[in-house]
Amino acid sequence: MIRIGAHILILYAFYYVGMWLQNLLNIVMPGSIIGMLLLLALLFMRVIRPQWIGTGAQLLIAHMPLLFLPVTVGVISYLHVFKGKGLWIIVVTLLSTVAVMTVSGWTVQIMARRRGQHE
Amino acid sequence: MNEWLAGILAIAGTIIVYVVALKVYQRFHYPFTLPVLTGMITIISFLILTGISYDTYMIGGRWIEHLLGPAVVGLAFPLYNQRKMLKKYFSSIITGVLAGAFAGVLSGYYFSLWAHLEEMVIASILPKSVTTPIAMDIAFMIDGLPPLTAVLVMVAGIGGAVLAPYIYKWFRIEHVLARGVGAGSASHGIGTAKAIENSEMEGAASSVAMTLSAVVVSMLIPLMTKLVF
Repeated sequence: MIRIGAHILILYAFYYVGMWLQNLLNIVMPGSIIGMLLLLALLFMRVIRPQWIGTGAQLLIAHMPLLFLPVTVGVISYLHVFKGKGLWIIVVTLLSTVAVMTVSGWTVQIMARRRGQHE
Repeated sequence: MNEWLAGILAIAGTIIVYVVALKVYQRFHYPFTLPVLTGMITIISFLILTGISYDTYMIGGRWIEHLLGPAVVGLAFPLYNQRKMLKKYFSSIITGVLAGAFAGVLSGYYFSLWAHLEEMVIASILPKSVTTPIAMDIAFMIDGLPPLTAVLVMVAGIGGAVLAPYIYKWFRIEHVLARGVGAGSASHGIGTAKAIENSEMEGAASSVAMTLSAVVVSMLIPLMTKLVF
């Protein structure tokens, strides 16, 4: 329990540094992603050991759907978009989402299989 | 109502809804029983029935949302664990992300024209595949409506996570990395949460795709709106 808490505190520290950097340098990346890249860099440089953050990170990641719930409930203020003519916006968004997943998936599959065969 | 009480009730309620949704998902494992979807519908229905406003709910909800920051930072852990695999297939992954970004912007634009949507709405649809803050920034840059974009980001996230098993089956996407990159490119963090449920490698590929696609899309859209559309 204490270990998980300590892990999450370290992750929080990176999150805040990420947000601080975002403000300072005016980057269009969310602070959380900047924090992730920073943590990844320090893991590679062996400044931070994976076991210092592992259990906490895995716990948070496993329950990410819970963490997303309050944000997704925000849709409540825009329910009118899901009615009448607005429904086309949803249809277009879903069709385009299918297109992205299919095209990127196919591309990786073709290339990765070719790569795998060469070894 | 007392602010503290409202906050604690919202947090406890959200956790209970999530735990029940998870139990239901484990018992009836279908794409449409995904906890993000069933949980969201349950909470929205509850708020509408009781007349509690979203702002009141968010007194507590904000605390849960706040943990998303460290959770995204934590994605560095599976990324680090899977570093050998990711390094080996990096060129495949980045090509897939680029192809996906183009497919997203082009299909978003042409499907919108086909559906006779207004320009402002189209500009709000284009950035839907990337994580909310970036998507809203892009929408703002190209004269879209950032709040509408935020909703469409959720539609792309939840829609993609729910449809993923069907898409993989219909379009025969079987490779673990391909599935991960597909989920991350199309459905950002929500897709990644779903991918990591399948395997660490799929989750790592999805995290990489989500990050790269945020960078690629934020450069691609302003460029395309200037030159092509």
